[in-house]
Amino acid sequence: MVGSKKGLTFRYLIAFALLIVMVFPYLYMVLNSFADWTQVDNKLVPTEFTMRSYEWLFSGGEAGIARPWLKAFFNSVIVSTASTALMMVTGAMVAFALAKMNFKGRDFINNAVLFQMFFPAIILLIPTFLIIQNAGLYDTYTAMILPKAMSLWAVFMYTNFFRAIPDTFIEAAKLDGASNFQILYKIVLPMSKSITTVVFLFLFMERWTELLWDMIVVRSDGLLTLNVLLSQMFGPYGGYPGPMYAASVLLTVPIIILFLFFSKQFKEGMQFTLK
Amino acid sequence: MMKRNGTGWLFASPYLLYAVIFFAIPLIWSMYLSFTDWNLISPVYYFKGFDNFIEAVKHPGVQAAFFVTFKFMAAFVPMVIASSLLVALVIHGLPKFKGLFLIGFFLPYLASGVVSSLIVKGLLSHNSAFNVFLRKFGIEVDWLSTPLSALLVVAAIIAWKFTGYYALILTAGFESISKDVYEAAAIDGVTPSQRFWKITLPLLYPALFTVLILSIGVSFGIFTEVYQLTGGGPNYATNTWQMEIFKQAFTNLSAGYASAVAIIASVVTFASILVIRKLLEMWGKRNGWV
Repeated sequence: MVGSKKGLTFRYLIAFALLIVMVFPYLYMVLNSFADWTQVDNKLVPTEFTMRSYEWLFSGGEAGIARPWLKAFFNSVIVSTASTALMMVTGAMVAFALAKMNFKGRDFINNAVLFQMFFPAIILLIPTFLIIQNAGLYDTYTAMILPKAMSLWAVFMYTNFFRAIPDTFIEAAKLDGASNFQILYKIVLPMSKSITTVVFLFLFMERWTELLWDMIVVRSDGLLTLNVLLSQMFGPYGGYPGPMYAASVLLTVPIIILFLFFSKQFKEGMQFTLK
Repeated sequence: MMKRNGTGWLFASPYLLYAVIFFAIPLIWSMYLSFTDWNLISPVYYFKGFDNFIEAVKHPGVQAAFFVTFKFMAAFVPMVIASSLLVALVIHGLPKFKGLFLIGFFLPYLASGVVSSLIVKGLLSHNSAFNVFLRKFGIEVDWLSTPLSALLVVAAIIAWKFTGYYALILTAGFESISKDVYEAAAIDGVTPSQRFWKITLPLLYPALFTVLILSIGVSFGIFTEVYQLTGGGPNYATNTWQMEIFKQAFTNLSAGYASAVAIIASVVTFASILVIRKLLEMWGKRNGWV
C-alpha cells in the first residue's frame, strides 16, 4: 500500500506533524525548565531563558532547605540498577529451566508463572508492605529492591526466546563438559542480545518510574527516589513551576539517553517480540 | 533436553522463593486481613466476618472505583486505538525514516507518570497559553476540577504514553499483510471501503486484538497520574481502584478494610478482563476474522 509519490510525500508530512505533537510535551518541559520565571507556563514557546530553575533546584531554593535532588538521583540509579540486574538474572535463570531443561514439575512451574502474571497484583500490595515491615526492612534500599527482584514478564519473554534456540547448541556444549551455568552464560545469553536489550530497557524504565511502592516503603529524605521526591515536592499545591520542569528534565533525560543509546538493538529485539 | 531434576529445580528456585514470599503468603495474608478490623498499627484487632466487604460495597469510593474504571476504559481505549492506528497507518511501509519515526513515537512511553502529569498540569494551568487562547473565545474550563474533563485528561495522558508502543504492534501487523492480497483485490475491482473492511481489518485483527487486550489491562491499573493530578477527585470522578486502596490502607490506615477492597478489586478486574476477552473473541469469530 505504498502508493504514489504524491501519496508518499503526504504521508511523510503527516508523520512529521504527528511526531511533533507526540514529542511536544517533552519540548515544552525542556524549554520551560530554561525559561525565565515570568514566562513559565505562560507561553507555549518561551522567548527568554535563564538557568535560575536549575540553580534553585541544586541550591535548595529560597527557603534555604537543601533538597536532596542529587542524592535522590543516585538513589534512583542504585535502586533501578540493582533491581533490574536481579530481575534479569533471575528471569534468565528461570526461563532457561523452563525452556531448555526437562524436569519433573516443569509444566507446573510454567503454568504457575503464567497464572501469577495475569493475577491482579493489587491484592498483594498491603501484605507485601507488611512482610517488608515485619522483616525490619521498612525505609531501606532493600525494601525497594527485594520485592522487585523478579519479573514474571522477563521470565515469559526469555522463555519464548530460549525455546527458539536449537537444542543442538546446548547438547554440543554439554558433550564438551560445560555446566548448565556455563551454557546459559556463555552460549544462550550471547545469542539473546537483542531480547536482553528489550527486556533491560522495559524493566529499567518501569523501575525508574515506579511511584506507589517506593512511596510507601520509604520515609527518610535521604532514601527517596527521584520520582517520589518529584511527586512529593510538586504535589497538588506545589509552587515553583520552573524548578518543577528542571527536576522533570533530571528524571526524564537519563532514560531517554539510555533508550536512544540502545535504540538499534531495541528495534531488532522488538521484531522478535512482535512476531 | 537434559534430564536432571535437581538442576532444573535449582534454576527455577528464584521463582519458587519469589512465588512463596511475594505471592502465596501475601495472598493468604490479604484474605485473613480482610476479615479483621486491623488498623496497621494497633497490636489488638478483632474479626468482623464479612462486615468489611459489606461496608466496602456500600462505600461511595468503592462504587466510584467500579464505575470510573469502565468510564476510563470507554475514554482511553478508543483514544489510544485511534491514535496508534493513525500512527501505524501513516508510517507502515515507509521506505525511509520508519525506524526513526517508530523510535520517536515510542519516547512518550519512557515518561514517568509523575512527569507527564506535571507537564499536563502546567499546560492546563490557569494562565497557560492554551487556556488564554480558549478564553479569547469565551471558553473557560477548569480542566482538573470538572469531573468529565478530569477523567478525559487522565485518559489522554495515558493514551499519549501508550500510542507509540501500540503503534509498533500495529505497524508490524500492517506489514505482515502481503501486498499480493491488495493487488489481487485491485484486479477484482474492490472499493476502498470494501478493501478496509474485508481485507485490512481481518488481517490486522490479531494485532488489533493484542492492542485491545493490553489497553483494557492498563485501564485497571491506573494510579500515578490520578494520584499526582486529582487525588481521585473531583468528587470521586477519577477514583480508581488503586487510588481507593492506597487511600484506605496508607492514609486512613484501615489495613483490614483496604484488604477487603483489594480483594473486590481483584475479582472485578479478573472477571471483567475475562468477559471482555471472551466478547472480543466472539466478535472476531462472528465476523470471520479469527
